[in-house]
Amino acid sequence: MNSPARKLNLGAIGKPVHWRFPLTGIMAWSAFAFLLLPSLIIIPISFGNKNQIVFPPTAFHWDLYYLFFTTSTWIAATTQSAKVALLSTAIALTLGTLAAYGIERSRLRGKQLLLVVLLSPLLIPGVVTALGLYSYFAVIGLSGSTTALVMGHTVFLCPFVIVTVSAGIKELDGSIETAASVMGAGRFKIFTAVVLPQLRPSLVSAGLFSFLMSFDELVISWFISGAQTTTLPVKMYSSVQTETSPILAAISTMLTILSVIICLGAEGARNLRKKAVAADS
Amino acid sequence: MKPSISQAESLAFLGPVCAVMSLGFIVPLGFIFFRSFTIDGVFTLEGFRSLLTSPLFVRVFWTTLEISLIASIVALAVGYPVALHISRQSERVRSLYLIMVLLPFWTSILVKSYAFTVILGDAGLINTALRALRLPQFEMIFNRFGVLAASTNFLVPFAVFPILANLLAQDPNLGKAAEVMGAGPLRIFWRITFPLSGSGVLAGFILTFVLSLGLFATPALLGGRHDMMMANLIDFYTRDTLNWNAASAIAVILLFTSAVLLLLLNRVRGTEKFA
Repeated sequence: MNSPARKLNLGAIGKPVHWRFPLTGIMAWSAFAFLLLPSLIIIPISFGNKNQIVFPPTAFHWDLYYLFFTTSTWIAATTQSAKVALLSTAIALTLGTLAAYGIERSRLRGKQLLLVVLLSPLLIPGVVTALGLYSYFAVIGLSGSTTALVMGHTVFLCPFVIVTVSAGIKELDGSIETAASVMGAGRFKIFTAVVLPQLRPSLVSAGLFSFLMSFDELVISWFISGAQTTTLPVKMYSSVQTETSPILAAISTMLTILSVIICLGAEGARNLRKKAVAADS
Repeated sequence: MKPSISQAESLAFLGPVCAVMSLGFIVPLGFIFFRSFTIDGVFTLEGFRSLLTSPLFVRVFWTTLEISLIASIVALAVGYPVALHISRQSERVRSLYLIMVLLPFWTSILVKSYAFTVILGDAGLINTALRALRLPQFEMIFNRFGVLAASTNFLVPFAVFPILANLLAQDPNLGKAAEVMGAGPLRIFWRITFPLSGSGVLAGFILTFVLSLGLFATPALLGGRHDMMMANLIDFYTRDTLNWNAASAIAVILLFTSAVLLLLLNRVRGTEKFA
């Protein structure tokens, strides 16, 4: 019988910490290794032999990276991806933030249903959205254009922005907005001067991840891009069978580094918000 | 006090996104439905009928379900210990662990699938190591194993999140009460934590299953002829045979299946109780 005098050292969910169940830890760490291994293994390979994949790598070259930066088709694809990502992110951030504020603050009756419809591109398989966009753009003559790409990407980024920014809005103190309106500020003024500054961390986070999602997007781009408007993932995908050099390892490494930078950036934004909240209270 | 905005203001805020989504999403979806139910402009169910009786589609359909089922179950099995371990950490340590789940989550699936072709290939990591140790080699690529390995890798983070959310929301007093009454850690887990995490596991399963249905690059890069999934078939009909009707019909079936599962997910989320 446990003596009540013994002090219980409790962890996060009331699990006594003094017995540290090692099996869970072992399984978890094996899982972490499994999750991180693919991205990590590519890195040494990208610095290895220029003509074929050799593991363990016998030398350290920058050859593959040099090849990437001097091949105009790869640079063009990368530039196109960056262009589409920047434009789509800008549009999606604007539309999505306005919409998130509208959803969180409105008392419209069909709000829930509207939210489901607005979020649906995130929920349905990408290939369905891709096919729809392809059929649509073919009919209205925008097939293969950058405009089509930007529109297609915006459509699947908006729901993500709405979700992220809504979470931020939910944490806001609504009485500040009420106070502003009592003091005579119009809705637009309240939005730009009161709400947006408080949402800065959410906006940064939403913007960074939207950029990443657009940059890495394959399926929609595969269907609607043309030969002149190929994005980086599309070129990578079509090169897997034909590309003889392991240049894809170098590109993959760079994309992984991009993901890391964006994750760290977003984490930084989250800490900024924590500091702001702490400072207010 | 939660402020609210007027109807007119709501329309102003929601208008732009609704306009773009109507033009860029609703209308395209309408196109898919139109194309699936008509051939040369004539309304007919012939497209669906010939699709459902074609051996190719039937095989691809069942392959998709099989792969999705197995990948989801394995992803849950791998993800549950991860979620459990993370839930037991203090808040600061938890963020560090979460980064290890979030980094692969935010890495492009194309990069991960390509990495698996390098790891699992005949000249790849594992086989090279086996060759060096003079052990027999395995064919792990361009077959079901390759697709499952890479799919599971992609799905694990999606399995972790719902389970973790559930575990973190569980009432800590239950564990304390059980411990005070003399239960050991194993019993606390089996009798309290695990049963309560049921809805999280179910939510994780449905989520990973729906995501797996739409896999495109992974089966293309790592699968063989018998591992084609529905997204690849849509691509085939669109690009290679220009059979819009069939492609749209498959998309409708895929959309319908996902929608049903997502409604189920919504029900599961709605019935969550934590004690």
